[in-house]
Amino acid sequence: MIDPSWVAGLGVFLFCIGLWGAFTRKNAIIVLMSIELILNAVNLNFIAGAAQYGDATGWVYTAFAIAIAAAEVAIGLAIFLAMYSQHETISLDEVKLLKH
Amino acid sequence: MMEANELAILIPVLPILAMPVILFLGQLFNGNAKWKGFWKEGGTISTAVMAIVFLLSLWLIVGHVSAFSEGSDDAIVTDVGNWVSYQLFTEHGDMKAQDLGFGMQLDHVSVMLLFVASFLCLLISIFSMGYMNTDKINENRNHRFYAEFVLFCAGMFGMVLADNFLWLFIFWEIMGLCSYLLIGFYYERPSASYAAKKAFLTTRVGDVFLFVGLLIMHAEFGSWDFSVVFNAANIGAADAGLIKAMLLLMFIGAVGKSAQFPLHVWLPDAMEGPTPVSALIHAATMVNAGLYLVARMFPFFAAPAMAGELSDVALLIAMIGGITAFMAAAIAFVQKDIKKVLAYSTMSQLAYIFTGLGASLWFVNNGHDELAFFAFGASMFHLFNHAMAKGMLFMASGSVIHEMHHAHHHLEHSEGEHDEDDEDHFDAQDMDNMGGLASRMPITAIAMAVGSASIIGIPLIGGFWSKEGIVGSAWKAAMYDGGGLFIIPAILVLLTAGMTGFYMSRMWFMTFAGKPKTEVAAHVEETTPFIPIPLVTLTIMTLGGIIFAGLNFAGWLGENSSNLSLSHAPSHLWHEITHAFLALGSDGKIDPLILIITWTTILLSMVIGPFYAMSLYGGKLAKGQKAHWSIAWIVALSGRIHSSYKFDNSVWAESGLSTALRNRLYFDQWYDALMLKIVVPFSYAAAWFDRRIIDGVIKGIETGSQEASRNIRSLTTGSARDYIMMAALGTLALFLLIWGVA
Repeated sequence: MIDPSWVAGLGVFLFCIGLWGAFTRKNAIIVLMSIELILNAVNLNFIAGAAQYGDATGWVYTAFAIAIAAAEVAIGLAIFLAMYSQHETISLDEVKLLKH
Repeated sequence: MMEANELAILIPVLPILAMPVILFLGQLFNGNAKWKGFWKEGGTISTAVMAIVFLLSLWLIVGHVSAFSEGSDDAIVTDVGNWVSYQLFTEHGDMKAQDLGFGMQLDHVSVMLLFVASFLCLLISIFSMGYMNTDKINENRNHRFYAEFVLFCAGMFGMVLADNFLWLFIFWEIMGLCSYLLIGFYYERPSASYAAKKAFLTTRVGDVFLFVGLLIMHAEFGSWDFSVVFNAANIGAADAGLIKAMLLLMFIGAVGKSAQFPLHVWLPDAMEGPTPVSALIHAATMVNAGLYLVARMFPFFAAPAMAGELSDVALLIAMIGGITAFMAAAIAFVQKDIKKVLAYSTMSQLAYIFTGLGASLWFVNNGHDELAFFAFGASMFHLFNHAMAKGMLFMASGSVIHEMHHAHHHLEHSEGEHDEDDEDHFDAQDMDNMGGLASRMPITAIAMAVGSASIIGIPLIGGFWSKEGIVGSAWKAAMYDGGGLFIIPAILVLLTAGMTGFYMSRMWFMTFAGKPKTEVAAHVEETTPFIPIPLVTLTIMTLGGIIFAGLNFAGWLGENSSNLSLSHAPSHLWHEITHAFLALGSDGKIDPLILIITWTTILLSMVIGPFYAMSLYGGKLAKGQKAHWSIAWIVALSGRIHSSYKFDNSVWAESGLSTALRNRLYFDQWYDALMLKIVVPFSYAAAWFDRRIIDGVIKGIETGSQEASRNIRSLTTGSARDYIMMAALGTLALFLLIWGVA
């Protein structure tokens, strides 16, 4: 059995990669992937916690998070499609719709 | 009688309701032929309302007079209803509930004023239908005149009936507003709008003082009700010094409203309004309001607690009266405008009444009740006589001006070359353009002769009965211990009697005697409808002064006797005549002082004044012209005196004094200079303070928040990555915060 602290450490590592990706990439799909990475880093954190304390709540939350993340990906991709059909680009540098 | 009291509320309410009706209908039917023809652009409504009000007033007055004759000596008070209730903090810190209701009080003085106001308002309304509706310049805006007119009348009725100083003040202000609107009726003329502003602002100076006085009254008595305020016990409990201050402040208000020195400057300019307005302001309503207020002060002076305390207030009132009487009469000497002469004559006559009231208040304050009632009655009777005579004189002058104007128009048209610009060069009010009208306008000429005689105080006509009493009272007050200073107003009013004789005769002879001074005057004809009705009515009223004297009207007004009975009239008239001409006192002895003063007054006012006027301005009519028999002899006499006694008055006419009088003693210039020196810099300073400090703070807040929001707004780039960054940083900051606290 792997020590839960390694799992948590992997979570932190993945979280940082995800955050870095979300900050630096222009392509909306890559940013979405980075956000998924962040989510999964959090999932790993839950699992580490659950393993450490022998509490099933962490597992349950992880299952929820995966389901919601799937839904979120579906919505996100749909938004990108709509964005592309309107602006013919999915580069986040050029799309600043949130200002309004 | 009960019904009359219940309906009394309609007297002020009906005209108030008529105002929006006339305005609305006027807007709706403006230009409509029937509206102009039958409805007289609202004149018919106004006259109908005034007729109803007059009948109601008569009903009320008759009931009141008979109630007094039956021995009830209290004023009739009707409570109409509560208007507002409020809580008042007493000295001990607890609250006291207070009601402010509108009620009506009728006593001798308010009954007299109610009669004067409703009677004259009705006649002026009839006069206006002739005067206003036949002049092209008023077409399609007469409804505005009638609407403002009825509201003005409502203000007077309400003020006279109110049983409460606050309501008195409210109606007083309604009159102030309407005077502003009516004087500025021809608002397209700069002089008229200037005059309107001047009248409003000058009376406002007095009103501010009056209101401060009323606030002191409320602080002292906790109420404005006559029944509370006039209660001798309440007056005794109040602070004597504050009562004195209150009366002085209220008197300043009266000075402004009644156009006395030094707040008199608005009244001559008020002539810019249409002539019915002049009659309304100078006879029926506005100027009487100030006198009414001073007359209402009587109980304060009569209260035992104040005995002797208020002598100097009474003296001040008489002084202001004496000074104004003399000054206004002097200025009237040199005026060329027929209405301006009458305006100054109004000021002068009102000043008489103030002098009489001052003497009356002094007497009652010093314990000479009998003399006080006499002076009070004489003053109120003079108010009555003056209102009747002056209302008639103004309407007669309006008739002259109107016909002069029409004749001028007629001449212009017949010459074929009608020039619009030329109209301004001809002044239909300038007496230098008149002359010889006695034969062309018989009704107006007779009315003016009777009115002038009443104002002058020719024996047995109107004003004579009351003026004697006022002059005599002032002299009597001067003879008493401590009243020595009354000698100044006493001498001034005596001299003024002679001056009145001169300037009123001068006006009459310049207008009606001699040969026509212009082509226009030779073509004047008396044809306008409605105008003769009020003139004839008021001529009869003024000549009927002798009947009122016989009824002991003055004594009744002074609350000396509670009886107005016809059966005593002949004997009382005889008593009045012996009293007036032989100065017979009630003890049957002749008072030599009063005898001398009476005959000096008669000599000055009836002989010397008119004699000078005749020699300077008299003259026979043109050949072929005949005046009515009742005035023909005056014209003939003036022609004879004019040709036999020549006075060279050029030295006087060109003197500095005469120029000063022509410029109204430079009061306007002084006031304007004072305004420029004090008020204008103060206004500039206030404007700077407002712009920089008050607006500056508000604007600072506004620009500051805008600047801040602009800076914050630049954070919202719209880019999703920036928001992620901000969320991350925010979470980090939160985390650090929690960590730090933990």
